[in-house]
Amino acid sequence: MRVTKRILVAEDDPVTARFVGSLLNEHGYEVIVADDGDHALALAADAAPDLIVSDLVMPYRDGYEVLRVLRSDPRFRAIPVVILSMRDREEDIVRGFEQGADDYVVKPFNARELVARVRKLLEPRGP
Amino acid sequence: MQRVLVLAILSVTAVFSALTLLIVAGKAFREIRDARRRRRRNALEPLVLAYAHGDARSILPALGGGVSRRDRPVVEAILLDHVQRVRGVERDRLGRVLDELGFVETYLAGLSSPRWWVRARAAEHLGLSRAKRATPHLLRALDDDAYDVRLRAAKALAAAGGTAAVAPLAKALSEPNRFATIRIADILAGMGRPVVRELIDVFPHLSRHGKLAALDILGRIHPPEAVAWLNERLADPHPDLRARAAHAIGAIGATASAGVLREALDDPEWPVRAMAAKGLGRLHDEEAIPLLCAAMRDREWWVRANSGEALRRIGPAGIAALEGMLDDEDRYAQHQACLVLESAGMLERRVAELPSAGPGRDAALSLVQRFVRVGQTARLCELAATHRDPVVRDALARLLPLTEAAEEVVR
Repeated sequence: MRVTKRILVAEDDPVTARFVGSLLNEHGYEVIVADDGDHALALAADAAPDLIVSDLVMPYRDGYEVLRVLRSDPRFRAIPVVILSMRDREEDIVRGFEQGADDYVVKPFNARELVARVRKLLEPRGP
Repeated sequence: MQRVLVLAILSVTAVFSALTLLIVAGKAFREIRDARRRRRRNALEPLVLAYAHGDARSILPALGGGVSRRDRPVVEAILLDHVQRVRGVERDRLGRVLDELGFVETYLAGLSSPRWWVRARAAEHLGLSRAKRATPHLLRALDDDAYDVRLRAAKALAAAGGTAAVAPLAKALSEPNRFATIRIADILAGMGRPVVRELIDVFPHLSRHGKLAALDILGRIHPPEAVAWLNERLADPHPDLRARAAHAIGAIGATASAGVLREALDDPEWPVRAMAAKGLGRLHDEEAIPLLCAAMRDREWWVRANSGEALRRIGPAGIAALEGMLDDEDRYAQHQACLVLESAGMLERRVAELPSAGPGRDAALSLVQRFVRVGQTARLCELAATHRDPVVRDALARLLPLTEAAEEVVR
């Protein structure tokens, strides 16, 4: 069994991806990065992440589509997903939760807040 | 002659060869430089980010005590890239590195550059650094000759200057460039309630479009403490200012100001009457219903339209008044009432009750008949053809020709 939690960061902006990767590494998580929606789904299948941090606007498949696929596949249904997006309109946030996101963080984001949310979602849940 | 020609050809060839060589060398130089910068970025970025995530007092130990001249643009790009993407502690730490490594000093010097684009970039980067000591320099940049510099200085002040920047930004609303005024108004509106006092204080000294922008900002911030002051603006000699004040009062939702807005419905200028009507709708002021009904007979379309919309916003009592306006003697008021009832979905809701029994059907029948009498049957015909309930379609199909036929008999 893996001790270090593995987080998949789906983000097409390399600067943000590096920042989030470095931040989560710093807090003891193993990070894998996908730079588009298709790549994110492929990595979700191959690398079995414990949590996914996903942008909404990405090439090939956007974050909503990634979420839809994740939530419709029993293999991924239990993986917590945090949306990390510049879209701060109420309807975007509501749509994110409706598609199955567990949390929604708006960019520019507070790094420590993101870590706290990730940590909370990775806490072992009761029966 | 031939020798001269050969010389000329050789000269042109030499010049072209030299230019080609220069271009190729320049491109090679840039590519080598970019490749080096990418390598250095890969090496330096983790160090900068580790500092941002950590709690070390200085970044210098992590960078080996300093940054070489060749690495400075790389570190600067890393800092500027990341500082825009985060908030909170890490943003502050990255901003402080810009100061610690001397970039802020360079930007301050850049504000005095004879080239406007250097000054504009310097102002923007100072905003990203959020260095408090840049505030007086950015304040001076608000008077720069170049519009881009003034605007970026205003944005930087909003980001870096805190409340100290509010007064000069408010004064900058009088800036001659209208587009800049709009952008500065956006910046001030984004700063929220702390700008209210300064806006009110600086208001008498602003240009007319600056005053309009200030009133607009108050309408966007919704500060209840500005309502009494806004009420006084309804007596301003300039109609545009009165109109904007009425709009702001409505946007704030100050129910205590309903009385002054009702009075403003009698203003001699139509923009004021239109904004007063809109405001009364936002306040859901039922006392204003008779006045709004009267305003639906106004000679100006905007006043009629806003009054109809205000009645709709007021709720059931306003809707009932709108239905009553279908029997009004004024043709414009009748048409406006039809438009609002249609766009509010009231006509559809009533029509859906046609197959029912009792008061719902009577009200539906009455409304359809009055729409027909006013001559507004386009939507009714559409519903008769497309309504999802076949019973409603049948009822309308029977009702429309019959009612129209009855009208013909009356005529």
